[in-house]
Amino acid sequence: MQSSLLRFIEVLRSHSLPVSPAETLDAAAAMDVVGYGDRSLLREALALTLAKSEREAHTFFYCFDRFFDQQTADFSTKEPDGEEAGQDKTEETSSGDRQAPQAGSGSGVGNGDAEELAGAQADSTALTQLMEGELLPALLENEGGTLSARLRRAGREVGVENIRLFTQKGQYTRRILDALGEGLLREAVVELEQTGSEALDTLRRYRDVLREQVRDYVEQQYLINAEGHNAAFMEELLSKTRLANIDRRHRDRVREQVRRMARRLASRHSARRRPVKRGQLHMARTLRAGMAHDGILFRTHWRARKKDKAQLLALCDVSGSVAAYAGFLLMFLYSLQDVLPRTRSFAFSSHLGEISELFREESLERAIELANWRFGGATDYGSSLRDFATLALDDINRNTSVIILGDARNNRGNPELEIMQSIYQRSKQVIWLNPESRQAWGTGDSEMLRYQTACHYVAPCGNLQQLERVVDQLLKSLR
Amino acid sequence: MENRLELASIETIEKGFAGLGYICSPRIATAVFLAARLRKPVLVEGPPGVGKTELAKTAATLLNLPLVRLQCYEGLDEAKALYEWKYGKQLLYTQVLKEKLGDLLQGAEGLAESVNRLHGFGDVFYSQEFLEPRPLLQAMEHRDGAVLLIDEIDKSDHEFESLLLEILSDYQVSIPEIGTVQAQSTPLVFLTSNNTRDVSDALKRRCLHLHIPFPSVELEERILESRVPDLESSLRHQLVAFVHAIRELDLKKQPAISETIDWARSLLLLHATELDDDLLRSTLNVLLKFEQDIEAAESELPTLLRELTPPATGTA
Repeated sequence: MQSSLLRFIEVLRSHSLPVSPAETLDAAAAMDVVGYGDRSLLREALALTLAKSEREAHTFFYCFDRFFDQQTADFSTKEPDGEEAGQDKTEETSSGDRQAPQAGSGSGVGNGDAEELAGAQADSTALTQLMEGELLPALLENEGGTLSARLRRAGREVGVENIRLFTQKGQYTRRILDALGEGLLREAVVELEQTGSEALDTLRRYRDVLREQVRDYVEQQYLINAEGHNAAFMEELLSKTRLANIDRRHRDRVREQVRRMARRLASRHSARRRPVKRGQLHMARTLRAGMAHDGILFRTHWRARKKDKAQLLALCDVSGSVAAYAGFLLMFLYSLQDVLPRTRSFAFSSHLGEISELFREESLERAIELANWRFGGATDYGSSLRDFATLALDDINRNTSVIILGDARNNRGNPELEIMQSIYQRSKQVIWLNPESRQAWGTGDSEMLRYQTACHYVAPCGNLQQLERVVDQLLKSLR
Repeated sequence: MENRLELASIETIEKGFAGLGYICSPRIATAVFLAARLRKPVLVEGPPGVGKTELAKTAATLLNLPLVRLQCYEGLDEAKALYEWKYGKQLLYTQVLKEKLGDLLQGAEGLAESVNRLHGFGDVFYSQEFLEPRPLLQAMEHRDGAVLLIDEIDKSDHEFESLLLEILSDYQVSIPEIGTVQAQSTPLVFLTSNNTRDVSDALKRRCLHLHIPFPSVELEERILESRVPDLESSLRHQLVAFVHAIRELDLKKQPAISETIDWARSLLLLHATELDDDLLRSTLNVLLKFEQDIEAAESELPTLLRELTPPATGTA
């Protein structure tokens, strides 16, 4: 039972549910308290201890339903009566929405088949062995409990929980069939074919039933064990891939990742408060401090705390040269504005405009589309900076951080470095994130080396990992 | 706490709560049961008005224990939540006792002996008598245990969450001047959150997590039946069906159970027997709290009513 729980938790972790050892202990304790008798009760109890948010609960129930569907019999083998009792229990608890997987497809099978096969024993020695073994009688009687128990045992023997790729499905199916002793069944079929026995079709049917069940089992195992791992692998891969190279069909995944990243950053850097020397007198603390001086109140303490009002202005280049990045950068800005309300976003190429409203009101896809449509075109950093100066320069003060996302390729126009410098002087910090690698800066029409002089911090930012690292640093310094 | 008869099994809890007018889903009952058995706090999340705070209140009534409530807000600190020294009293006592000092030190030779003698008195000013317990400490000082409700934890600061960790995992408070204070009896702890921000992982790890969603039609009818028993059953069906339809709309704030109950009570006061257009228009403001929401619902009223009417005429 414990090992079932541990394997289940392993599955949860692979579905990116962070279950700590302490929570594992809690789950085991909860299991002891509620017992294993009532499946839905166990489900609720484990959910309470293991899933720590609504989102996690969703994943949890998904995994639970898949995992324990096949494990139900495992629970019941603990019962003194063994398999039979377990089977009854399964049927009791599965009366609801759940469909017992071990109720095989050989439903219309009567005992006539058993007799027919018994009659054909003379034709095949392998069949005789089969009839004396455990597998075929179990198939004939359609004993789900015995079958699924043997199936799981065979599965463990061949290590089916290590399945990672869908191409391995056939291989594992074969191995499990071998471990189950299907070889004998095959032999019997061959022998019956040679003698042309009438029982051949019947036997073949049972062979197919068995194969189907094993295939189903491997399929489920693949879904449980591989899915989570693959998702985690994919995410890691995506976070290291250059943004421009990420395929369109992975966009959904990336968007979720970006959103999570923004949420993570925001919770790590949510507004800090600090005491200030103004406002209401903190009597208790003042008295306490005064006690050291014979009750004379030398030092005053104040109650008021002030919230840091950091403001973030973000400029995003949406011109053709960075089109591949712009989508992601806008996506990131969108998520960031979601979590940091005092963010103002701007988009530019030949001219610049504010898109904060757009982000607030429209859905992500639509907002990005509109931003591209309104402000896309040929790049002109000079005129964009002029636009920015009229729009926001007055609002920039020492609490403001300006973050610019762009490649600084200005088509040999006037870079308006003076405006950059005045932004640089007024603001707390100017950060420039360039999707190009450092080697490319200053080549061709790139003005990066000149703009660099008017920035507190510049960094190449080609993939999600770099982006997160840079923004983490940015937010740390915002405090 | 774990040996209380009222919490002996999940069915008993469900029945006990129902007896007090709180109809709970199996999940809620399981959470309370496990909280008592595993001695763990429960973090209750869900939209406003689904009965998070009510859960703690009902548990206190059921167990006949005092309810200690701590309402969280921005800037809440340990002096208001945990304990504080009675500075005024300390100050007053030192002033009064100043004269006594001469008597105490009489006959002492030299500074060293005087100081030694003073040492003998220990930390009189930092003892239980000068300690002002705040809700968290109060909850731990009850001999028979208590129900501690930490309401809207998401409104507090991060620092405050860290402060809670020791209390929630070990049911003890470390007071530097005195030492560690253990809970007399483990309190039953409920934390509620409206999800305005994510509660830290460390805190979540120490809690059971219970999410209370909007109830199903069937559950909500049972709740209404228990809370507003005078309401006719046909009207109750209609009302719950209508509220569920309203929740499907795009609203700023969806009506919760508390609003449904309020609305049912107002309909009762108006002696309504059936939902109709006029009645709905005049009472919609009980259910919906934003002008835009009311406008949105009003424009949908004919459609909503049409969906309601066939079963209504069927039962009438």
